[in-house]
Amino acid sequence: MDQSVAIQETLGKEENCIVAAQCDILLEDCSESRLLGLVECAKEHAIFIYTHRRMAITADDVSLEDIIPITLDFAVVEVSSPEQLVVVGADTRVRMSYKNEKLELRLPFGSHSRFFLGEVNKAWSDVCRLPTQVPKFEWTKKYKKSIKRQEATKQAIAPLEVLSTKNNQHQKIEKVSDKKGSLEKVKSSNSISQKSKGNSSQDNQSISSREERDDLVRSSSHTASNKAQILAMPQFGLRDNLIRCELLKSEDSYTYLENFRFFLGTYNVNGQTPKESLRPWLSCTPDPPDIYCLGFQELDLSKEAFFFSDTPKELEWMKAVFEALHEEANYALVKLIRLVGIMLIFYVKKEHAEFISDVEAETVGTGIMGRMGNKGAVSIRFRFHNSDICVVNSHLAAHVEEYERRNQDFKDICSRLQFRQLDPTQPPLTILKHNVVLWIGDLNYRISDLDVDSVKDLISKNDFETLHSYDQLKRQIDVEAVFVGFKEGEIDFQPTYKYDTGSDKWDTSEKCRIPAWCDRILWKGKNIQQNHYKSHMDVRTSDHKPVSSLLIIGIKRVNPEAYKKTFEEIVRNIDKMENECIPSLSLSKREFHFKDVKFMQHHAETLNLFNDGQVPCQFEFIQKPNESTYSKPWLTANPSKGFIAQGASMDIDLEVFVNRTTAPDLNCGKQEIEDILVLHLERGKDYFISVTGNYLPSCYGTSIYSLCHMKEPIQDMPKETLLELAEKSPNDDTATDEKPLDIPKELWMMVDHLFRNAVDQEDLFQQPGLRTEFAEIRDCLDSGMPDSLPGSNHSVAEALLLFLDALPEPVIPFPFYQQCLECSSSAGQCEKVISMLPQFHKNVFNYLAAFLRELLKNSANNRLEVAILATIFASLLLRSPTKQDFAEKRKTQEFFQHFLT
Amino acid sequence: MAKQYDVLFRLLLLGDSGVGKTCLLCRFTDNEFHPSHISTIGVDFKMKTLLIDGIKVRIQIWDTAGQERYQTITKQYYRRAQGIFLVYDITSERSFQHIMKWASDVDEYAPDKVRKILVGNKSDDVEKRQVATEQGVKLAMAYGMDFFETSAFTNHNITETFTRLAEQVLAANKKDLDLLRISLNDELNLTALEEEEGLCDSASGDQQKACWC
Ligand SMILES: Nc1nc2c(ncn2[C@@H]2O[C@H](COP(=O)(O)OP(=O)(O)OP(=O)(O)O)[C@@H](O)[C@H]2O)c(=O)[nH]1
Ligand SMILES: [Mg+2]
Repeated sequence: MDQSVAIQETLGKEENCIVAAQCDILLEDCSESRLLGLVECAKEHAIFIYTHRRMAITADDVSLEDIIPITLDFAVVEVSSPEQLVVVGADTRVRMSYKNEKLELRLPFGSHSRFFLGEVNKAWSDVCRLPTQVPKFEWTKKYKKSIKRQEATKQAIAPLEVLSTKNNQHQKIEKVSDKKGSLEKVKSSNSISQKSKGNSSQDNQSISSREERDDLVRSSSHTASNKAQILAMPQFGLRDNLIRCELLKSEDSYTYLENFRFFLGTYNVNGQTPKESLRPWLSCTPDPPDIYCLGFQELDLSKEAFFFSDTPKELEWMKAVFEALHEEANYALVKLIRLVGIMLIFYVKKEHAEFISDVEAETVGTGIMGRMGNKGAVSIRFRFHNSDICVVNSHLAAHVEEYERRNQDFKDICSRLQFRQLDPTQPPLTILKHNVVLWIGDLNYRISDLDVDSVKDLISKNDFETLHSYDQLKRQIDVEAVFVGFKEGEIDFQPTYKYDTGSDKWDTSEKCRIPAWCDRILWKGKNIQQNHYKSHMDVRTSDHKPVSSLLIIGIKRVNPEAYKKTFEEIVRNIDKMENECIPSLSLSKREFHFKDVKFMQHHAETLNLFNDGQVPCQFEFIQKPNESTYSKPWLTANPSKGFIAQGASMDIDLEVFVNRTTAPDLNCGKQEIEDILVLHLERGKDYFISVTGNYLPSCYGTSIYSLCHMKEPIQDMPKETLLELAEKSPNDDTATDEKPLDIPKELWMMVDHLFRNAVDQEDLFQQPGLRTEFAEIRDCLDSGMPDSLPGSNHSVAEALLLFLDALPEPVIPFPFYQQCLECSSSAGQCEKVISMLPQFHKNVFNYLAAFLRELLKNSANNRLEVAILATIFASLLLRSPTKQDFAEKRKTQEFFQHFLT
Repeated sequence: MAKQYDVLFRLLLLGDSGVGKTCLLCRFTDNEFHPSHISTIGVDFKMKTLLIDGIKVRIQIWDTAGQERYQTITKQYYRRAQGIFLVYDITSERSFQHIMKWASDVDEYAPDKVRKILVGNKSDDVEKRQVATEQGVKLAMAYGMDFFETSAFTNHNITETFTRLAEQVLAANKKDLDLLRISLNDELNLTALEEEEGLCDSASGDQQKACWC
């Protein structure tokens, strides 16, 4: 019964109960039943916890107790506790925690709980995937008022000590520890939870596959951490699928067939409790079977079983079965599944257990309303060695005339019964997709077109062949209306229905039913032989007789050597493919040399990238550790990142340009033209590109102090001297033997040139010079001592401005800047500041001021004004160590004006 | 039989330029050999899948530039490695001497629990041998590493060397792996069954416990 309907009735319009599950809240010394609903609203999820009447059908049956929002603080883990006996096939115990609350729950074993936990986990993974989107849970607030916590739950929601709340993402599976306990103990605990014994590996599987997904989430959100070096890589699912496909294709090369004995049995027990040994049925073979698949129908006809799926009969029949299994072998229960009265038990000989895997069980109801479990099927699928096997036990619609309904039930079961795949990307698995399908059950097909007496007459003559031709199932199979592709062995036993209970007498009741072969065993698949097919007359508990069949099935076993070889061959090919798909480029050149790089001179070389790989590629020059950019500041790659299609190519310009920021260190030799670029391909390799060159030192970017100590052109100076000078303090005048120059000779040459040629020049310092002439002037200053400078007045004027601009320490050094601003209004104060400057700087300042005053004297011709010169020169002489605002600018001009008048 | 998960390791080839790092990788992944020396300028990698103890181990092998001038950059790749091949050339005494320097860089830049293996390559070139096998053995012993003499040319000991280091890395990361294993579906399935068997065994004869244990 779907209890989410009841929950849905209590919710708002926008809210949606995705799935509901019944569970037991585990309190200190007892447990109480609760209903959990996973509720979604606006992409946020929360778990609503309800107290409820036993079977919730309407909103009246449930009452909201608490809401746990699913956020990053939320976690659900499987737990075991020492005092709790854990039986294989027992219920799932989980601990849900939210912030510092925790809740221990027990969910009944089976696919529904698994589904519920799966959905919860899905919701949680969604939260983890977008950790930045903080959920608000506005919509749950309205419920908070109505929540009346019962005393009991308050206990359960105790502060959390055990679980580290620091990082709930790092949940670990606490391994289920097994501890023996008594039957009584199980009985005393909550009824639903102790429903049946099966195999907990199912539940564990769901947890573990969740865990796997969690790993994915984890590794994607913690890529930086060193811990993630060993990656669980479900994200390589594509690759795994490829391997799986290839392995499947060449399965024959590494598997061989081995026969195993499958004992199949079906028994409609008519709601009876076991009254006699089942040995005549289950131990009828001389040798012990390898596998038992036993189906029961009408296990319990009571209302309780129907409505609450709760029956003591399950345990009773299980015990009866266990005691009757073949004595000469030990068997392990792999799985038990039940839907109301339809039960399927799967035992395997101990030594085969390790070869059983991927066990899944599902049920489908086809009863009342086409849903209920009074009719329908239960099914277990598993992998035995390398064969996938599906066993179905069904109880189809009753009544002689309803054979078409039975056909329909068969079809419904085939389409509606689906097994979840471990790999969530795979579509669900249906019954008919299995290599081997074994179908047993009370199929309920009857004998048609013969009256009771004729039937009984044929039976008494043992003419089962004739009787069989009236069998509805045979007829329906013959016209391919049902069980297409299935086989059934020859029926050489009398009909198994309907007897007076406890006897071998045909039904003597009023209805006096016509005998029929209701109970059947069919199979589908290759390499299957039937060893026997019979009924067991000496079992008399029910109005049916049990039926059994021993099938000899050829199972694919793996030859480990051959498997390894095939596997390696496959991965070798895939590795090869993968390696070929690693992006790759070929580079036209790996080493670049820039010869004679000069100040403010642009140099460029071209690097051609050709995509010689099999995939498009994304490239980027990446920075080396401890460096903030991908290259030295004087070097740029243009473009520095991009995309190149397969077979295409792209030119990258490597440009070298030394400006005033990079010049000082290059001038003195602290830095050289030398760099290694790292060209990184996304998902691919890194290429190193080395850039070398030589730089010609320049007075541009060299300090006033250093220049004053150079009597030769800078390019004629020994390298060591340049470095030595650069490392000396500008205030330290004493150290030199030779008398230094008062001002840099380069400055003198430019100013002198202008003084001699340009005092009447209009627009001086305002009209730009020529780039080529600047280069000539620079070279002239750096390498020679000609009598006059080349270029126009404007070019020389600009060269002078650039010189001042490139000074690593401005004429008024940075430490004086603030002072200058403060005293800018007072001429006297300003002069005082200047008097305190280091000697060479003071010289330069006074020299320039004098020169400019000289120019202003000729303002009639050259049209220069104080304001113009103040604006131009203040910004060069008085540079801010940081960014200059407009007010500051005004002050620097004001400061400098004092020296121009 | 095949497990549901993969493990990925990064292994790094280190050693002087010309010792044959690129050739070792090429032989291992593509089973090819190129006699010409095209010096690696950069960091290259290839993938390879090994089956170790039934676990699919995917290894990403990084081939680095051996030339000295790139070493400040290549060092930065060490910290991403779980395993390192220290390669020298048995025909070059110098490349053998340099192993000391490579090893100390590894100590400085690689993660603490990185696994190392010493490789003397070009074992085919007996005539030009300058480093005796015993010297390699001794050095490896001093460092507590395994040692292989290999030839990318004749394919001698190539798979063995790579597999050995991968195994060692696997073993060194066993603890983390075991955590992974717990989340392994079929493993769990098996343990569950084993528990079951045990229970049923001990319960035989005791009817009440037979089913519920
Ligand atoms: N005889 C012989 N020659 C080899 C062997 N392995 C490599 N070589 C040769 O050694 C030279 C260098 O090999 P590479 O693999 O390119 O060297 P590398 O260590 O990658 O060098 P870098 O990339 O510069 O660090 C090549 O000419 C190879 O042919 C070998 O096992 N035997
Ligand atoms: Mg190389």
